[in-house]
Amino acid sequence: MNGTHIVVRDLSKTYRVPEREPGLAASLKGLVRRDYRDVEAVRGVSFTVEAGEIVGFIGPNGAGKTSTLKMLSGLLYPTAGESRVLGHVPWERRPGYLRRISMILGNKSQMVWDIPPLDTFHVLGEIYGVDPADLQRTLDELVELLEMQELLTKPVRNFSLGERMKCELVAGLLHRPDVLFLDEPTLGLDVSMQGRLRRFLAEYNQRNDVTVILTSHYMADVLALCPRVILIHHGQLLYDGDLGGLAERLAPFKLIRVTLRNGSPDGIPEGVDVIERENGRLTLRVGRAEAPALTAHLLDTLPVADLAVEDPPIEAVIDQIYQEGVA
Amino acid sequence: MSGRDLNLRGGWALVRRTWFSWMQHRGFFFLLAFSWMMPMLIYLFVWSQAAGGGAGGGAGGTIGGLTRSDLVTYYLVLILVNQLAFCTNNWTVGDGIRYGRMNFLLLRPMSPVYDALASEVAGKVVFMTFALPVTGVLALILRPELNVAWRDVGLFVPALALAWMLRFVWGYWLALLAFWATRADALLSLQESLIFLLAGQVAPPTLLPAPMQALATVLPFRYMLGFPVEVLLGQLDGAQLRAGFAFQTGWLAVAAALFVALWWAGTRRYTAVGG
Repeated sequence: MNGTHIVVRDLSKTYRVPEREPGLAASLKGLVRRDYRDVEAVRGVSFTVEAGEIVGFIGPNGAGKTSTLKMLSGLLYPTAGESRVLGHVPWERRPGYLRRISMILGNKSQMVWDIPPLDTFHVLGEIYGVDPADLQRTLDELVELLEMQELLTKPVRNFSLGERMKCELVAGLLHRPDVLFLDEPTLGLDVSMQGRLRRFLAEYNQRNDVTVILTSHYMADVLALCPRVILIHHGQLLYDGDLGGLAERLAPFKLIRVTLRNGSPDGIPEGVDVIERENGRLTLRVGRAEAPALTAHLLDTLPVADLAVEDPPIEAVIDQIYQEGVA
Repeated sequence: MSGRDLNLRGGWALVRRTWFSWMQHRGFFFLLAFSWMMPMLIYLFVWSQAAGGGAGGGAGGTIGGLTRSDLVTYYLVLILVNQLAFCTNNWTVGDGIRYGRMNFLLLRPMSPVYDALASEVAGKVVFMTFALPVTGVLALILRPELNVAWRDVGLFVPALALAWMLRFVWGYWLALLAFWATRADALLSLQESLIFLLAGQVAPPTLLPAPMQALATVLPFRYMLGFPVEVLLGQLDGAQLRAGFAFQTGWLAVAAALFVALWWAGTRRYTAVGG
């Protein structure tokens, strides 16, 4: 399916949360009168997503990622702004819309623990009105992709976290949604299970051309799956573009890794940020504009055994933005 | 709410799934059914003892015009009606809102009410497989006299159906208060206490003091449980029957209006949990 699947314009969500000071006096006061504080979780976010795109929605804890996703899936009503997903206003939650989307929450389960997943899958097929032959075909495909044939007839209660996540993915995809909202799908999984789920999501997207918005704190998820990222911080959109551009735009520095023959850092110009030193190997952080001149200076004046100029790792960029804001 | 999309296929699938799940824990649900029975069993023995008379009823004294046999009959029917009219989902809906489980129900292309209804239908079957044999054995031991007119049976069926609907919808709108207050389930406890006092559990309505009888007549709780029993046992005259059905349907309409209003407002302020 071609075209724009998701349109978001100036979307905002403000929560009103109760708060009180610690202690007995404040506790007693709270019995009579409660104080509330407005928390602006999402502030005027706008973006569009084309059909078949996989977009990484990143930001620190409390940035507003999940609130945005919940508004797009129809779970939350926004405080302001508008959105259309597949031509529908999500929070009207019309059955015709809900049949075309799916939201998978890494920290919550829709499986019934006491019965085998196959029973839950058949119930979901009925709820979504999937033709039994189509349901079986989809189930076979997903079970094969996720290598989970042996899980189908065991009670979910006995599953590991990774096995349960496989079930969540099948449950969320049985009705072949056009838009998939994934909230921390690899949360708590071991490295190999994370890798398997990433490969599955990449392959599923290729086969079915489904539009995906993914939130994850694991940058490996984003690196493996998302050509485009949207960075949100304190409820505001800070960046929307490809992952490489994120480092260029929001972390305007380079790393110079230099190994000196004498191992001494003497001669490094004043003011250069030495962020790591180990066995005569130094890592320097410099502004992008200053990198060529400093590289030339180091080569001219110091006994350089090896030198490399690199973009900072994406994890470091993200960490810096989370901690310090935009450079 | 997506209730405008009548999804019977999905609803029936939910009933089956709930059966599968509950039958894994038959013992727990049988104990639950027994715990609902307990207060009425206690009052059955207390009142029948107070009325005196020999085994099998019939002879002996009366209380408020009711013989020991009348009281045993009343309580055995009350136990069965309570099993049919009791709604567990009033509690689970509130928990679903509080702990974020409502998320999955709201994401499905069918109203979350289906989930509660499925548990009701599945639950009645599970609970009755316990309650029917138990009351049957009690009836064999206590040998009550049950003379029921066909006209009363005909009126009992709609009275029972309305009692269940009233208890379900009333409890549902109370549970929806969890959208605003985290411990709104305290109101459900209050509702259960009022049912205990005013709906014929602690004593048959005719034995209640006059002010409580007046309260029971106008408040909704009697119509959630005691009214169908009184209808079946022929304890009400024509005017009382007409008034009873009017109160029952009137309170059901009030509960339904509150449910719709609270659902509309509650889902707009729903913030789920975390994230």
